[in-house]
Amino acid sequence: MDGVPAAVPRSEPSALVIEFRNVGKTYRSLLGNSVKAVEEFSLEVAEGEIFGIAGPNGAGKSTLIAMLLGYLRPTTGTLEIDGLPARTYVERNGIGYLSELIAINPKWRADRALVRFATLAGIPESQVATRVDEVIALLGLDEHREKKIKALSKGNLQRLGLAQALLRPERILVLDEPTHGLDPVWTQRFRGIIEELRSADRTILIASHNLDELQRLADRVAIIDHGRLQRLVSTGYDHEQEQERATRFRVVLASGEERMREAFPGAEPAGKGEYAVTVRSIQELNTSLAYLIARGAQVASVVPERSMLEHQFREAVGESK
Amino acid sequence: MSRARLARYSLWQVRDFVMEKGISIVIIGLLWGYLQLLPIRRSFPEALTAELITRLVTMLASTLVLIAVFIAVNGLISTDRKQGYYRFMFAKPVSPVRYYGQLFFVHLAGLLSGILVLAGVFFAYAGQFNVWSLLLYTSLLYVALGGIGFFISAATKHDWVALAAVWLGSAVLRALYSSGQDWRAKAVELLPPVHRVDGVAQSLLATGTAPLSDVAWLAGYGALFFVMGLIVLQRRPLAG
Repeated sequence: MDGVPAAVPRSEPSALVIEFRNVGKTYRSLLGNSVKAVEEFSLEVAEGEIFGIAGPNGAGKSTLIAMLLGYLRPTTGTLEIDGLPARTYVERNGIGYLSELIAINPKWRADRALVRFATLAGIPESQVATRVDEVIALLGLDEHREKKIKALSKGNLQRLGLAQALLRPERILVLDEPTHGLDPVWTQRFRGIIEELRSADRTILIASHNLDELQRLADRVAIIDHGRLQRLVSTGYDHEQEQERATRFRVVLASGEERMREAFPGAEPAGKGEYAVTVRSIQELNTSLAYLIARGAQVASVVPERSMLEHQFREAVGESK
Repeated sequence: MSRARLARYSLWQVRDFVMEKGISIVIIGLLWGYLQLLPIRRSFPEALTAELITRLVTMLASTLVLIAVFIAVNGLISTDRKQGYYRFMFAKPVSPVRYYGQLFFVHLAGLLSGILVLAGVFFAYAGQFNVWSLLLYTSLLYVALGGIGFFISAATKHDWVALAAVWLGSAVLRALYSSGQDWRAKAVELLPPVHRVDGVAQSLLATGTAPLSDVAWLAGYGALFFVMGLIVLQRRPLAG
């Protein structure tokens, strides 16, 4: 895809890029009240990973990201990027960052805002205009480039935020709720852009409420709640783990509904030709579907009611409560 | 590398100053100056004497430059923190210390340009006076008041109110206690040397010179707070 920054050439790739070690953050008010936003948080993110951070509202995701950018300092523990304190790393190398709140001066013009960010990012003057044009085209902002920031819709503002994060081929990208406000078409395109950005030299951190998105994009997901790491989940299919879990699927039949209860005795009707079924394993699901198909039923779709990540999320967040 | 890109970015900082502060300073200066000068010009329809022009410049500058400096330093750092603009800016390989240090001097240059425009209008309307003295006085007050403003803007999000409180509070406390002999007289000596401003303005604008000790106090005090502001920026996280 044109405009997606290429991988960053590095002579000595290191396996570990980001390391949180027993990080804690406590906010203290002038009146002496304190709130622990993050507690004893330890995590290692490797080079080349797409890493997800999931958690309910107020779980501590934004605080973690603010500390990663060096905008907040941990109260306890250490946070290092490439062996450097986070802020030192950012000031030396920069990070491609999309914040949850897109805060750009509303009086600025969209394309000029990108020129400013490109200048700060250190893109050579002779390349700034070309690079800005590329990211504008990549994010479909051509017709909005001369608009002031205050005139942009939420979705366009979000795309502009992503555009400024992609101006330079950063080794680390941190995207906080990246698809917030995007329509389904752009959500899909965003996934394509992230897949294009995946490289052995680049680490991408995505914080999101959208578990489906993390399931699709991330290699691993940290589920956090109450400022603590509750669970670290690999998003690849874990056969053994899935064997032990009762999973609900939505099965839609184009024909042969009369055979449904023979194949799935506990099937619950959920609409026209649609049933909710519970199985103990993928094997059980396949056996039952094979039974249906062998008897002339036509299966239109089979979709899990919850993704594996959603299961893990509900368990982890439930456990923490 | 970082310095080079910040130097390139200074053109944007100049543009922001002109759009957000410079035009306001010139408009306020013109309106306020016109209101002050109009009755005097009517009373003296013939050419003004050099002495009267100097007195007018001193009268106008002592208030107008103070207002202009307040406008110039207002929100220097705190606006980016309050509005969250720092999030994208400082994810780039840029040091906030250098960025805002440069911004302080860009605003000084912008302020001097604005005062120069106003001086030119006054020059045409009333007559000749020593423009260099006016620019020197503006620079001195910017360093004195702006240095404190820079520190306050680095430390708090409510910088305009805090700076006004510090400046006016110092004037009041000095007026109340500086003539005494007790500890309070010594304590107020630590406050910003606002009591020296009027004397420096009168002397500098009228004669082109000012007592070195007064100039040193004002410039030194402001410079000290400017450096303290840089230290706060270095040590205090932007979202803190």
